[in-house]
Amino acid sequence: MTILDFKNVSIDFPTSTGIVHAVTDVSLSIGEGRRIGFIGESGSGKTTTALSAMRMLASPGFVSGGEIHLHSLPESNLLKLSDEDMRNVRLSRISYIPQGAMNSLNPVMRIENQIWDGIVAHEGAMAEEELRQRSNRALESVGLDPDIVGQLYPHELSGGMKQRVCIAIGVCLDPDLIIADEPTSALDVITQRHVMQTLRDVQGKIGAGLILIGHDMGLMAQSVDEIGVLKKGELVEFGPVRQIIEDPQHPYTRELISSVPLVGGESFLDPKPATPAKGYATEDGTPLLELRSVSKTYGAVTALHPMSFSLDGEEPKIISIVGQSGSGKSTMGSLMLGFNEPSTGAVLFKGHDINRQSAPEALAFRKDVQAVFQDPYACFNPFYRVNHALKFPFERFGLSEGPAHVQQAMEDACRAVGLAPETVLGRYPHQLSGGQRQRLIVARALMLSPKLLIADEPVSMVDASLRATILKNIHDLKDQHGISIVYITHDLATAYHVSDYVMVLYKGHVVEAGPPKDVIGDPQHAYTKLLISSIPWPDLDRDWGSSEDAEAGLAELARIDGRHEMILRSTIPGFSLGVD
Amino acid sequence: MGRIPAGYLANRITTLVLTVVIAATLIWIIPRLSGLDPASAALGRMASGGGSVENADQILAQLRESFGLDQPLSMQYLLYVWNTLTFDFGLSTASFPTPVAAMIGNALPWTIGLMLISLVITFLIGNLLGALMVWEHTPRIWKVAIPAAMVFTSVPPILSGLLLMYIFSTQLRWFPLSGPYGLNVEPSWTFDFAASVLYHGFLPALSIVVVTFGFWALGMRGLMIGVQGEDYTTLAKAKGLRPRYILYRYMIRNAILPQITAFALKIGMLVAGQVLVERIFAYPGMGKLLYDAILTQDYPVIQGVSFVIILMTAVSVFLVDLVYPLVDPRIRHGA
Repeated sequence: MTILDFKNVSIDFPTSTGIVHAVTDVSLSIGEGRRIGFIGESGSGKTTTALSAMRMLASPGFVSGGEIHLHSLPESNLLKLSDEDMRNVRLSRISYIPQGAMNSLNPVMRIENQIWDGIVAHEGAMAEEELRQRSNRALESVGLDPDIVGQLYPHELSGGMKQRVCIAIGVCLDPDLIIADEPTSALDVITQRHVMQTLRDVQGKIGAGLILIGHDMGLMAQSVDEIGVLKKGELVEFGPVRQIIEDPQHPYTRELISSVPLVGGESFLDPKPATPAKGYATEDGTPLLELRSVSKTYGAVTALHPMSFSLDGEEPKIISIVGQSGSGKSTMGSLMLGFNEPSTGAVLFKGHDINRQSAPEALAFRKDVQAVFQDPYACFNPFYRVNHALKFPFERFGLSEGPAHVQQAMEDACRAVGLAPETVLGRYPHQLSGGQRQRLIVARALMLSPKLLIADEPVSMVDASLRATILKNIHDLKDQHGISIVYITHDLATAYHVSDYVMVLYKGHVVEAGPPKDVIGDPQHAYTKLLISSIPWPDLDRDWGSSEDAEAGLAELARIDGRHEMILRSTIPGFSLGVD
Repeated sequence: MGRIPAGYLANRITTLVLTVVIAATLIWIIPRLSGLDPASAALGRMASGGGSVENADQILAQLRESFGLDQPLSMQYLLYVWNTLTFDFGLSTASFPTPVAAMIGNALPWTIGLMLISLVITFLIGNLLGALMVWEHTPRIWKVAIPAAMVFTSVPPILSGLLLMYIFSTQLRWFPLSGPYGLNVEPSWTFDFAASVLYHGFLPALSIVVVTFGFWALGMRGLMIGVQGEDYTTLAKAKGLRPRYILYRYMIRNAILPQITAFALKIGMLVAGQVLVERIFAYPGMGKLLYDAILTQDYPVIQGVSFVIILMTAVSVFLVDLVYPLVDPRIRHGA
């Protein structure tokens, strides 16, 4: 039985420069208890389409054509309801699980109050005891302990717990349909699997339909029954998940599927050139970067336990540091950049302690060690044209030989990262896409011909189809420009492809390290195994496991907690890891 | 939340005392940089009163001695700090020999009455209007009217005061022209006196509210736009909550937090905030006291008033530090 129908829905956004057709003529039906995936890049209209069923389009968007029918209503056309009737439909019949797990709960309200106000808004005031029974039931259904969690404020919960609270809110009134907008995009893979399985379980239990919005083909394959592929506001393909993944008809769908890097899958990188560029070399063999018994503590919290390694820059390498949020991987990055001083030990660059440098040495260090960060939106000063970001460090470090030379250098750097200079230079950051900005950040680093690049989650905020391209740009820095790279990520599949050596960090300890084919291809440590098994595969015959499996993995991890064991796999020349 | 840790309290109190001492020192230094001599000034006033002064040098020396200006600077300073911390601000040089503490004691209640009430009114009105500028369910007429009313923000308070005076006192004769209360009542705890005070305070308060609500409204507007884009506001709407409930419990409740800090800072400022309003309405408050003291180079009064301003700012910031964790659970009484 069909619960919701989109009939020829079009959505327009009138802007000062003309009408933007965000969604054009989308029709599809959602059956009772069915799970539908909306997949597409940012700007493809997938969220807009789903939100139109809640009449919650961002201003000034409006449904310019078509009908949306919710069949459980006496007057089924949602677009014809009064505002008050529509308000009653929200949560009680169509509920919404938002994307930003970190931010989607009111920070000044206790969790149970945020479940209660939803119930009261639809069923009227009732005794606190009754409300508490209802909220307890909802929290239990998502695997949270209501006696503890109900009394807490959002900031006292982890990201995964917050998102499960959002699911609890979404199911507390037994809706006909749940719309989940990238519910796990801010979570690491282990938590993602746990949250998705929770969502699947409760959705199945109450028999609601589900629209899952996302851009991760693997997550879709493991979570939904049917997939709708959206591109520029059009539904280009719709069908059962197996058909879409195994036999995609539309070229865009094929592109989406093939752009996902897989562990053990085909490489998206260019083959190594016959004569790769040489990196930094010294006569006495001083390593490029060396960590000597470095640890970092913040108050009582140990972010990084003592560790040592040395990286020889002569033959450039990419070292990946992988782990969940909170594993200490970003702390390592900021220690290597000299933004933070280690609590013990020393970080040495070309044999000099980077925290004990004279001013000219520090300047040279800043030129030689460049960084690419996660957020391509926050990396530019919005008041300057992007040229400023490229030009300023170049001139500051005395590399400029006049305006023509600067211009030439900027254009070369743009081309090196696959951007046409005339389409990006001279523009303001807000005029560029996230992918273009992130490539410019790479270009900016490249202009300074550094010896070492620290890339902290460089592609986690750009569209899936662009990730491979940007990683290819970064990888080329190694082979063509002789730059060694430290790649910090939570994404094992990309680490598998680009890196020469992988370190897996868990709670500030290196738990497993070695070449990627060993560590990621054939993990030995319980944590690495759990990470790998939590990756959703775009392969229907490869099961993601049940929520029991996920629980078992977490329990296994809890068992080894506190005991520090490191599994060192084979080594590679020019890099040595030691743990104190 | 809950009990305030002793270590935190000690830390805050130390900060409070340090702030006050440092500020008191600055207050002492700054007027002395002006190079003017209050003893000569006093003599000048005597001269302009009596025509000419005999034995001017002798009188000058005597004045210096009685003002304590013959002491070495370091002694003057130490004495000053001790006296200030015990609320002994000395004697006014212009209205010699009235104790400054008594002058402040007379002026402070008027200012606190007038300014605190107008600040609270402004805070409430300004923030509510600022919130309504952003809320999607605000009637359209309000969305036009509120920004238009912002015009008043650019009017200097002295002008708004004179304008209101002209309209409501001179032309319509609804409100009295000036003074803190009517000539027909005596200061006492009676209804008549209270009514007279409120009646007389209305126009000065209104002239302040009209020109200062924009500060809060514009600040609130910016904060509300931030909150409106937050995911929790979107989720609140998706939960089918009533729009008014979302406005108060989700949007204003979060947006107002930084405004509370600003409010604490304003409490200190309000003592001196509307000097000219007090002046034109002949309101015997702290602003007028300070204004007159500056005109007559009355150091002790300037220092006393400035000290009270600083003390009030420091104490209100201290109180906000203690209270803030109650209104924002994310903030804890940390070290």
